[in-house]
Amino acid sequence: MFIQRSMTRKVITIHPEAGVIEARDLLQQHKIHSLPVVGLEGTLIGIVTDRDVRSALPATILSEAELGQLKERVAQLKVKDIMTTQVVTLSPNNTLEDALLLMQQIHVGALPVIDRDRKILGIIAFRDILRGFAEVLGIDEPGTLLCILADDRQGQMKRIVDAITEEKIRFGSVLVARGWEKGKRAFFPYLFTHNIVGIKKKLEGLGFTLINPIEMYLEPLPPA
Amino acid sequence: MNRTGLLYDERYLRHRTGEGHPEVPDRLQAILKGLEDGNLLPRLTRVEARPADQRRIETVHDVAHIRRFEEACLMGKSELDHPDNQICYETFETALLAVGGILEAARLVLEGRLDNAFCAVRPPGHHAEVDRALGFCFFNNVAVTARFIQQEWGLKRVGIIDFDVHHGNGTQHIFERDHTVFYYSIHEHPTFAYPGTGREFERGLETGYGYTLNSPVLPGYGDLEYRDAIQRDLIPAFDRFQPEIILVSAGFDAHQDDDMSNINLSTAGYSWIMEQIMALAERHARGRVISILEGGYCLERLPELARNHVGILLGNHEIMK
Ligand SMILES: [Zn+2]
Repeated sequence: MFIQRSMTRKVITIHPEAGVIEARDLLQQHKIHSLPVVGLEGTLIGIVTDRDVRSALPATILSEAELGQLKERVAQLKVKDIMTTQVVTLSPNNTLEDALLLMQQIHVGALPVIDRDRKILGIIAFRDILRGFAEVLGIDEPGTLLCILADDRQGQMKRIVDAITEEKIRFGSVLVARGWEKGKRAFFPYLFTHNIVGIKKKLEGLGFTLINPIEMYLEPLPPA
Repeated sequence: MNRTGLLYDERYLRHRTGEGHPEVPDRLQAILKGLEDGNLLPRLTRVEARPADQRRIETVHDVAHIRRFEEACLMGKSELDHPDNQICYETFETALLAVGGILEAARLVLEGRLDNAFCAVRPPGHHAEVDRALGFCFFNNVAVTARFIQQEWGLKRVGIIDFDVHHGNGTQHIFERDHTVFYYSIHEHPTFAYPGTGREFERGLETGYGYTLNSPVLPGYGDLEYRDAIQRDLIPAFDRFQPEIILVSAGFDAHQDDDMSNINLSTAGYSWIMEQIMALAERHARGRVISILEGGYCLERLPELARNHVGILLGNHEIMK
């Protein structure tokens, strides 16, 4: 899962000589939280976030006299004066998992994606990652989740996938949960079909147990 | 006792889905057997099936979808859009006959000749989208019926209750921007069950916001959870909406013995739900209910489920015992 597929390619950027007010307006207009700052050749030289802009602009609680003075200074203030130049970036060969872990670690909501010459190729935001994982799970297509309990030994996943493929069923993903019970693993294939009767029988015939996923995550059900 | 219509036609058996497919003609025969054994047939008014005028289908579906479906059948294709949707030469005709029969039942109810009706049709409809077949469904029977009732009979508020164990994605999408058709569905939670929609935060769009309501139920649950959800979600919503007629997407696949879900409704649980629907219809819709078959694949349970369902439509509660 490479970020290339999930990133936004039409990046809203700003020039370092642009005013801070312009940056604020761009952020608001496009409902985004960060703007890559790009020089003349399209190379990334910094990033400016809505937080940078907010702390550079005067608060509304100031008196009019104070505001008047500040306004002049603010009007002169440029993006290059407030931007962060130490930008954490990703390359198109990074994966969605890289982006997710990195964002968690450095607490940012979006990362620019650049090539070797620091030319900007795209930007990946947290919401892009979520969409990417939804696609990976396959849950944007109609389907059914099966919950299969298997012995924890090699080759079980292959047997399950083979059985599904033999039934000519396409599937979106297979999640695996360890530690279900000693010596067992639970597999959760997401099948793009409504017709699950045949595959269920087949899996049971192969010695797998079909389980109710609730038993795995919740306290025992109250008696009906 | 109510004047209850029964729509059933041997020609509904002609849609064949091939080996290994649960949506089989035997389902209808099991239902009919249940009604026969319960000695209900003499008390029911037979509704005649007739092919729907294609313009009726076009109130919901794209012309291109209708054409594609017809051509696929006539050209001897074995599926439409997905291997789930198995077709044969007669499937298109059968689907027209299903819609046409239901509209006929609706007409009789709206003319006051019947109080309510049960439509034992194939193929089912609630997964069918405007432009594609999905989940064994080709035409969205209940959606076409709702539009017919509004356009031909001028009713303003139509309530749809879908208790098939799967979410009726098609019906929801068709009416999600429409505040004149309230779509309520109770089903197995979409993380686990087909088709993967019908979460509680799907509440409709734009002016239709608040006129879609979903009660997802986690796998393994049954009567108690359904009872809670229907009392908490459906009844207050329909008491506010005050539908002038209630259409039911009647799917019997939430039964504990049905392989197509992990929901454990009992036979009595199904009866309880239908009684609540009848009470809502009495309060708001002059008792007008048109129940349309969707899923339900356990051939051993379908007879009793259909018998009780129709028994409740007849208003004869003794039948259930
Ligand atoms: Zn169903």
